[in-house]
Amino acid sequence: MSDADIDQDDSYWGRVRNLGFALPRCAACGRFHFYPRPACPFCGSADIAPARASGRGTIYSYSVVHRAPSPAFAADVPYTVAIVATDEGPHLMTRLVGIAPDHVRIGLAVQVRPGAPGRPPLFEPTTMEAP
Amino acid sequence: MSRRAPLAAVIAGVGESPIGLVPQFDALGLQRQAALSALADAGLAPRDIDGLLTTPLRVENWAMPCGVVAEGLGLRPRYLATLDVAGASGVAMAHHAAMAVATGQCETVLCVAGQNLLSFHSRGSAVRKMADAGWAHPEFEAPHGPLVPTLYALAAQRHMHEYGTTFEQMAEVAVAMRAHAARNPLAHKREPISVADVMQSRMITSPLRLLDCALVSDGAAAFIVTTPERARDLRQPAVALLGHGYGHSHTYIGDYRNVTTTGAVQSGGEAFAMAGLSPADIDVAELYDCFTITVIIELEDLGFCAKGEGGRYVEHGAIGPGGRLPVTTHGGLLSAGHPGLAGGMLHLLEGVRQVRGQAGARQIPDAEVALVHGNGGIIGLHATLIIAKA
Repeated sequence: MSDADIDQDDSYWGRVRNLGFALPRCAACGRFHFYPRPACPFCGSADIAPARASGRGTIYSYSVVHRAPSPAFAADVPYTVAIVATDEGPHLMTRLVGIAPDHVRIGLAVQVRPGAPGRPPLFEPTTMEAP
Repeated sequence: MSRRAPLAAVIAGVGESPIGLVPQFDALGLQRQAALSALADAGLAPRDIDGLLTTPLRVENWAMPCGVVAEGLGLRPRYLATLDVAGASGVAMAHHAAMAVATGQCETVLCVAGQNLLSFHSRGSAVRKMADAGWAHPEFEAPHGPLVPTLYALAAQRHMHEYGTTFEQMAEVAVAMRAHAARNPLAHKREPISVADVMQSRMITSPLRLLDCALVSDGAAAFIVTTPERARDLRQPAVALLGHGYGHSHTYIGDYRNVTTTGAVQSGGEAFAMAGLSPADIDVAELYDCFTITVIIELEDLGFCAKGEGGRYVEHGAIGPGGRLPVTTHGGLLSAGHPGLAGGMLHLLEGVRQVRGQAGARQIPDAEVALVHGNGGIIGLHATLIIAKA
């Protein structure tokens, strides 16, 4: 896939690809939020732009999926769906990779691992190096 | 915010189709069975109905469900609408019907919904249809592969972490529902189960196992709301709506920052305030039970116990037959049946029968006040109703 193709990807993650792990940030109150919405959930301003976030957070909750919702996921089971509390505040759902499902715990420090172009990012246990 | 007054409307009739595997009827056929049952209960004929509320389906594609149902049942309503607050729709229909009646838009509303959710789909395709229905955010959640149960499992896992809730405590909810269902001849699943049976059932999406999850059923439910005056010469004692409330905390579980506390705090608080009652006044609580964890969180948020105490509250059969607070006494979505949005209506039917004293083998002695609670979406949209004989 060429860069031009990716730029035309109109998914959120496609649009912010050049910023890395970017979350919507309100210019009026300075707070990050996610998922994207037309106005800031904290102050109501519509002056919102994606801004680079640290890509670090902790596991807020998780579930190990043993029964795939559709054939597209059948080869992946068991896999860990998690909610990450980002260091910036917003929570988001992700797939946790790089750790056996049995070892996942709430509070585990995690960092972003970019997803495929236009796909949501995954998270993995934090390593010493910056993501 | 000003305190609202109860609505001048009553529930005059309730009924349902057969529930479970009912392959001889399509969605409209099931709804007709339920509507005729509710009409017979009230002592009314179809020509007495001048209002109609229904919900969307998850089987056939009905572009305008209230129109399809009106035509299919031969009704000519002066007021009709399709209501959708997912699992809270049963409670919300009663409230909307009462608003229509109390404001003179019509006199007698038929609320009816249901579908052949089990026999239309294979179980696998029902699961896939639910997974594709948008409960997980289509762009930010669904690509990660959650089942609908996964979305509730995320709340359950967090509840276990924050409050020490255990697998065994969640299993107690499933066991209690099955024990109630054993006393309900219409229930989809009636054979008793134990905590060990739940704990040994297949893990679906941790920490939820197969028996922590609602059934998939065919079935339809109906009830009739009318004016207190009209109800006076009908067949059954009228049941009044003493209080109601709604609460919405979130639509998607992934971006909600406090998944163990829900809109039930507000919906219950408003319903109790309107009724001038407290949880101690409730004789029977018909709580929405799409998963075992749902009941535990609702018990807390509605004020039957402190936050975090729900797991301990349900231990030792406390919400089962003969327990300190009988909960969801028909057996609920976990055992009596879950035909989609009509599932939450069955809780209302049961509450009405309990306060009328007509619940048969599962009648709670001297039940005067019932709380009926519906939950829509991913434990985010709640509707509470408090009812008693008028």
